[in-house]
Amino acid sequence: MDIDILKEYIPLYKEALILTLKIGWQGIFLSLILGLIGAAILHFKVPVLKTITGIYIEIFRNTPLLVQLFFIYFALPKVGIQITAETCGVLGLGLLGGAYMIETFRSGLESIPTIQTESALSLGMTNGQTFYHVILPQAVSVSVPGLLANVIFLLKETSVFSTISLMDLMFTAKDLIGMYAKTIECLFLLVVFYLIMLLPVSLLGAIIERRARYGQFGD
Amino acid sequence: MKNTFVKRLTSGLLVTGLLAASLTGCGGASDKAAGDDTTAQAAGSNAGYRTLDEIKESGTINIGVFSDKSPFGYVDENGEYAGYDVYFAERIGEDLGVDINYVSTEAANRIEYLQTGKVDIILANFTVTEERAQEVDFALPYMNVALGVVSPDDAVVESLDDLGADDEVIVISGTTAETYLTKNYPDIKLQKYDAYAEAKTAFENGNGVAWANDNTEVIAFAIENEGYTVGIPSLGDQDTIAPAVTKGNETLLTWLNDEIKTLGGEQFFHADYEETLLDTYGADYEDELVVEQ
Repeated sequence: MDIDILKEYIPLYKEALILTLKIGWQGIFLSLILGLIGAAILHFKVPVLKTITGIYIEIFRNTPLLVQLFFIYFALPKVGIQITAETCGVLGLGLLGGAYMIETFRSGLESIPTIQTESALSLGMTNGQTFYHVILPQAVSVSVPGLLANVIFLLKETSVFSTISLMDLMFTAKDLIGMYAKTIECLFLLVVFYLIMLLPVSLLGAIIERRARYGQFGD
Repeated sequence: MKNTFVKRLTSGLLVTGLLAASLTGCGGASDKAAGDDTTAQAAGSNAGYRTLDEIKESGTINIGVFSDKSPFGYVDENGEYAGYDVYFAERIGEDLGVDINYVSTEAANRIEYLQTGKVDIILANFTVTEERAQEVDFALPYMNVALGVVSPDDAVVESLDDLGADDEVIVISGTTAETYLTKNYPDIKLQKYDAYAEAKTAFENGNGVAWANDNTEVIAFAIENEGYTVGIPSLGDQDTIAPAVTKGNETLLTWLNDEIKTLGGEQFFHADYEETLLDTYGADYEDELVVEQ
């Protein structure tokens, strides 16, 4: 392995890391919002919206991100909707992640026994208060491990962005190999940079998990 | 090569203690898999490639071609590989007396496929460049090529100096167009795709102001698609296209060179042009494109 080449490539990988994180976090933020809204809709069994949410989940969980990106980026312009590559990346990640997040939040909500709701209501709390102060905190605490798994999954899914010309980590590595054929260096940096991106997320996740679960388990 | 790779990998790992456990596991596993692979493919092969005799003995040659670059290497309506490169590949198979296993490649992984022994020959419109010649061995050329830039009729790009700061030029990752623009026009924003089909669709969708590629490819695109003009028909140096083999595969290289010389005697590549390229380019480009030894 040639150290000079590593040094030469590191700035390019840094740039790719920043782009990956930028799109990744925007997509994850979008997916969390979608997840909360969708889970609330399913929890309160809102008519019509409930069915739409169900269809959305099935479509996006059962098609690969690659296919979704292809559709958003290459097919929509054919009907006159032009979207930049970055927006497309955020949308694709957000929509895919949203479907997973809804299910994770929902499993959290459903894990809270109905006796909690009944007790809160009998104490005179309104429906809204019950949901916000009693159900949601416990549900989020149960969902945390699943949510973190989703976050890491979504950050890794960014590796298919090359099809829509986004210079993410994976594409940067492939591109450099194609141009200069320094395979070992490029792949080594690729692994290192993915770890740089994801290890802190895992560690941070462990801390958040302990915090979030303190309310529920006191430990 | 495998061994030094593992050695280097492990020495690098000592520095990053955290990665050590996961990566040595990885290196070991891939090493084993590669070992299995070579035994399955060709008994006792040299580092990553098969010699001429080994290919003949196995009865099959693996040739890397494009599957989406009409009219050079593509899959036709019957699902068969066809095109200028494939026409030549067929002849190689015939003269070697072996079956051909076509392996579809993308521009960016052509060198990889040779280095890892996934293919014996790359016949995927591979332009000869200095950088590539350090990684693979090129045989004698069979075609000429330069770079070209195509753009829509209503905004023809005739010089790269005219491009605005926000204008993006579409290129395909791993092509000479990408390397040339990166080196000579570092300020031009490039929109990179990893396959021809995607670059084409993106260009048709209006995602970039122009598309830079081999001039053969952009000329073909402008002829086949209404509303596009090749504003810059020739950019940079005239290059040649040649078959490539894994670095050090002398026997196969020598055979290929002899084959290309023999074929030159019968004007094979002119026949190839007339069979595969005439419909697209007409007779005007024949002498410009074809190289015979």
